[in-house]
Amino acid sequence: MWLWILLIVVIIVVFFLLIYWGFYNRIIRSENRIDNAWAQIDVQLKRRADLIPNLMETVKGYMTHERETLQNVTNARAAIMSAKTPQESINADNMLTGALKTLFAVAENYPTLKANENFMQLQDELTHTEDKIAYSRQHYNDSVLSFNNTIEVFPGNIFARRMGKKTRDMLQIPEASKEVPKVSF
Amino acid sequence: MLIEDHIRKNKLDTVIICMFMIILLFSVIFAIGYAFGVPPVFATAIGLPIALAYIMITYSFSVQSVISAAGARPANPQNRDEKILMYKVEEMAIAAGLPTPQVYVQDSKDINAFATGKKPEEAIICATTGAIQQLNKEELEGVIGHEMSHIRNRDILVMTVTVGVVGAIALLCEIALRALFWGGGSRGEKRGGGSPILIVVLILSIILAPIFSRLTYFAISRRREYLADADGAYLTRNPEGLAQALEKIKADFPDDPKGSKTVAPLYISNPFKRALRDSIWSTHPPLDERIKRLRSM
Repeated sequence: MWLWILLIVVIIVVFFLLIYWGFYNRIIRSENRIDNAWAQIDVQLKRRADLIPNLMETVKGYMTHERETLQNVTNARAAIMSAKTPQESINADNMLTGALKTLFAVAENYPTLKANENFMQLQDELTHTEDKIAYSRQHYNDSVLSFNNTIEVFPGNIFARRMGKKTRDMLQIPEASKEVPKVSF
Repeated sequence: MLIEDHIRKNKLDTVIICMFMIILLFSVIFAIGYAFGVPPVFATAIGLPIALAYIMITYSFSVQSVISAAGARPANPQNRDEKILMYKVEEMAIAAGLPTPQVYVQDSKDINAFATGKKPEEAIICATTGAIQQLNKEELEGVIGHEMSHIRNRDILVMTVTVGVVGAIALLCEIALRALFWGGGSRGEKRGGGSPILIVVLILSIILAPIFSRLTYFAISRRREYLADADGAYLTRNPEGLAQALEKIKADFPDDPKGSKTVAPLYISNPFKRALRDSIWSTHPPLDERIKRLRSM
């Protein structure tokens, strides 16, 4: 008789262990995905920053009267290189996006520059890295959302508490980046 | 409905339909077993390995054969349009958190694109030159997002296995029918003969099962299509881009269908048959319905 009870107890214990195993892996995996997503953003930010000196070199000869525009781009690049937290990097990147927008808008006034093969390629590539940054930021936020959902929804919340996991913050896009760049002549 | 709700609903639908497919496969095995007077366990022991072998053979198709059936070539980064396609594929891979697939181009005036590869690590996305030239960046992004979702949802795997099950059911029924016409009668008499009505019903169901399994396959394909639309829209956060691309596809008439029919469900729209009306025989839902759903997100 109590052999049966023992068997049932063992089955229940194994059942709970399996569930714990499943959730443990799921939580760890989705947390790692967040870190990986951040690494992705970081790679893209650095790649974009690396393109800037090249762009400056190309543009310098043409844009002699646009010192302020060029200076803004250089400053934003320096801010990316020295950023320490994810949010700081994102803020610096938004500065760079704004500065580049102004630069490309101003470039419209320089027909010879616009026709420069090198400049066109850089412009394509910079737009592409900008899109990549936007998408990796989106992926980061998606990963954070799915992690937060896993550890906050029942029964994940019980395991998450045992593992000492806390919800992560999504990346915020600062207001400044939504402004349209002003071009003065 | 929110995009997330679309995604959840379509996933659930696929699970239900796939379960129906599995039930169908086992029903066929049991029915054939019954017709021959074999117990279910024994029938499974014979039927299931045959079915599995068939599924494995379908599964072992190579990515290269799909590419060469479509007459596709690797994208050329020197060409600006194709470079932009490569950029878009890379961006969507980042958004989906997947390794960047290889990019191929198929020379064709039609607007179309497909994805292939059983694992995300060896995936390929191919677009036609028509798509690259006629779609603007947002539309192209929508199409690539749709294909990337096929890869992320492992639809290539789902659809090949489904094709395998359909083939296996057809094969088993074929074997059973032939065997019944050869020696079924005498065996039935020896067994003392079940009721003749029962035998007729069994034979009918063996004839009808392959048809049902094909219909199920089409139903799964259409679900995966809606799912990839919704997931793709979630990746780009811009359902309108894909909706506009589908509008262009609707207005464009296909003239040179090329490619492998096994992967027809993985094209953005079926290259062999334009889905305009709702039909239980098509791999893709009607374009108008897809556009309507995208615009409601």
